[in-house]
Amino acid sequence: MIIDVVGLSKTYRVPVKGEGLAGSVKSLFNRQYRDVEAVKNVSFQIERGERVGFLGPNGAGKTTTLKMLSGLLHPTAGTVLVAGYRPKDRVVAFLRSITLVMGQKQQLLWDLPPQESFALNRAMYGVDPAAYARTLDQLVAMLKIEPILQKPVRNLSLGERMKCELVAALLHQPQVLFLDEPTIGLDVEMQVQVRKFIHEYNTSTGATVILTSHYMQDIAALTPRLLVIDKGTLRYDGSLTALTERVAPERRIVVKGGPAELAELGFVPVDGDQVATVTAEETNRRLSSVLSRWPMVEIAVESPPLEEVMARYFHEGSA
Amino acid sequence: MTDAGAGARETPSGAGILWRAMPTLWRVAVAGIVAYRAEMVIWILSATLPLVMLALWDAASAAGPLAGFGQADFARYFTVTMVVRQLTGSWVVWELNYMVRSGSLSPQLLRPVNPLVYNFFETLAAIPWRMIVLVPLLAGLVVWRPDIVFAPEGWRVCVFLVSVALAFAVAWLVQAIFGMLAFWFEEAMGVFSVHFALWSFFSGYIVPMALLPGWISGVARWLPFYASLGVPVDVLIGRAGLPEVAAQAGWVVILALAGRIMWARGIRRYGAVGA
Amino acid sequence: MPPAGGPEALSSGPGPRLPEVLSALARVALMNALQYRASFFVDFFVGSGNVVAILLPLAVVFGKTDSVAGWTWDQSLLVTGFFLMMSAVMGGLVEPNLGAVVEGIRQGQMDYILLKPVDAQLVASAQRVAPAKLWDGLSALVVIAWGLHGTGWPGFGPITAAFCLMIAGVMAMYSLWLLVICLSFWFVRVDNLRYLLGAVADAGRWPVDIYSGVARVFLTVVVPVALASSWPAMALLGRLDLALVVQAIAVSLGGFAFARWSWKRALASYTSASS
Repeated sequence: MIIDVVGLSKTYRVPVKGEGLAGSVKSLFNRQYRDVEAVKNVSFQIERGERVGFLGPNGAGKTTTLKMLSGLLHPTAGTVLVAGYRPKDRVVAFLRSITLVMGQKQQLLWDLPPQESFALNRAMYGVDPAAYARTLDQLVAMLKIEPILQKPVRNLSLGERMKCELVAALLHQPQVLFLDEPTIGLDVEMQVQVRKFIHEYNTSTGATVILTSHYMQDIAALTPRLLVIDKGTLRYDGSLTALTERVAPERRIVVKGGPAELAELGFVPVDGDQVATVTAEETNRRLSSVLSRWPMVEIAVESPPLEEVMARYFHEGSA
Repeated sequence: MTDAGAGARETPSGAGILWRAMPTLWRVAVAGIVAYRAEMVIWILSATLPLVMLALWDAASAAGPLAGFGQADFARYFTVTMVVRQLTGSWVVWELNYMVRSGSLSPQLLRPVNPLVYNFFETLAAIPWRMIVLVPLLAGLVVWRPDIVFAPEGWRVCVFLVSVALAFAVAWLVQAIFGMLAFWFEEAMGVFSVHFALWSFFSGYIVPMALLPGWISGVARWLPFYASLGVPVDVLIGRAGLPEVAAQAGWVVILALAGRIMWARGIRRYGAVGA
Repeated sequence: MPPAGGPEALSSGPGPRLPEVLSALARVALMNALQYRASFFVDFFVGSGNVVAILLPLAVVFGKTDSVAGWTWDQSLLVTGFFLMMSAVMGGLVEPNLGAVVEGIRQGQMDYILLKPVDAQLVASAQRVAPAKLWDGLSALVVIAWGLHGTGWPGFGPITAAFCLMIAGVMAMYSLWLLVICLSFWFVRVDNLRYLLGAVADAGRWPVDIYSGVARVFLTVVVPVALASSWPAMALLGRLDLALVVQAIAVSLGGFAFARWSWKRALASYTSASS
């Protein structure tokens, strides 16, 4: 087990401001505070080499949790062990065994070529020059960023910059990768490349990957295990398929350009197609009855998209 | 004072919209100040640089008046200087420089109001809050040095108020012009610091105009440095009069025109370079 | 891509070595500074302007009188010289980092500094330099030499004492600077605090004796700028005995320890800019 979290909580104290001018002036003299529980009593374990996705609406506590796991924030309560260390102690050996990549923040030096940031990180992590050269070559080859190493970071595109951020974050060969929205703002093509890289990196090095993302595709493609965090609490811990089966077990049978008579079998027209929503067990029976009468139609069976599964799941929680 | 907004005439409706938006701008300024209480204390404390100068002149005139300035005169002079400096303070040079260099000017240009005019009004809205800061400071000064209390003639107070308004406009326009240099040079702020060194010497900020060597003060008296700070101070203590105030008005016109031309060219260049 | 010898092997390796980290930081800081060649020359120009702006008022004062609070022109030059030296070190090595850290806390680069297995205070204090400010150090030496030419050259003892005091004074100012940084962990907008610190530190350019009791103590203990400017000058002039010098150095060491302790505490309550 590489990560062990027990009863983790984080409470922020934030000032409360009244409405309008009067409220502003009042808060000048007598500031009221409110405790916000960003993370409440969260526990989970992660094994070495796993790929795990944190999912949840904005403000659910994903990033806060990630920052506590990486030692940036001190927990209000609970215990965290990552690779055998307490993150908040920020001991050198711990920091050298993890990395954090934040899609919305950057560590590369803005005015200098990425290579300079890499060299600085090499010195700060105390990576042996030979090992550094080897790792850098491999990462550069995997991400195909050879041509941009000499360009100042400010002249790079968002996607190129994210690739360089990944290199900068991985030069010390961490065992645990925390990725906070690593694909945010990237175009689809670049998202696919980054996803592919993370997957490859995980399988080839056995490093543990913990990822948050807004893009369901990141989760669907990358992380077999899912932790759903909602309003600071852990609501689900398990595989994506199990969650889908539980929340949205039905299938959609779509008959492309199907005949109107399908209505007899419970189909309804949608954009010129005939569509029926059925339970998983029902699917095969319904399919055969369609095909027995119209053997030549084009037919497709779909699970509800992940976005819809999640929307339904969160709705279920609040209802 | 509306004509002082360097680009006011470029977007004629802009100033009108802003006049009506004043209450909102006001509230935003209030909320901004209240949200950062610690900063308010900082404002109080950083308003006191003239007092540092006072200490020097105080010590220098301990043995007897210098060029007609006794210790009480210096105390009055630098107290009024501190007040005027607060009332005429602006930050447009930093803001404009930042907006041009970071490219955040672009979305501003899409709004119906000229960003410079907006800043001008924002600066105005902050003035009452600066006064809140000044009152306790002045009270403390009066307790410490009762001799700073003096009664200027009524007409001087009136002219003083006009002169402060003009000084505000000159100071803001000069800053806006230095800010616009960012359209052409990366190091506009460096140029502004050089200007600041000159300004602090020739504006009366650290040396009263009357104490500068004769020929220097003969020239400096008519320059924008003095128009942006020293004139109202000297008007109130009786060492300047209407000619200097007229010169201030002249500078407002000249600087506003120069600012307008620069703004038009600068925006064209900004668009051409593509920010 | 196998991690050589497994991940454990790496994290138990030698770890970052201080000289290597320092030279890497210095290299990057210098490269960053030299990106803007224009800035280098503008800074030089600004620096020279500063020297003149500091000396001019002093010249005006001493044009009217021979002695201010017991200091002659030559003796005051020594204070100004040490003040310039401190400004050079602060402006060249310390203040650029203040800006970078405040910005980093707001935009999140601070997170990345904290994630590095190197002392965060060290990295935060050594990410930027402004080499052009070091020119000010040169003019400082000239001004000190100019002053000593008038007062007569002291012996080895006073020079050593002055040198130690100067180091102690700069260290005290650095500690104060670090405390400001700590504040920025709680009040993210501390830009004005930088301005304030600069404004108050400006008071150190005059001999500290011109200030009245409270202000003098303030400038020696709270914002210890006098420790870096007036005290070394007093040491050169033989006005300090050894016990005072030792005390001053002890106080600045204490300040440094306090600042470091505050920094550690600030890190513990760091909330990290939300993304």
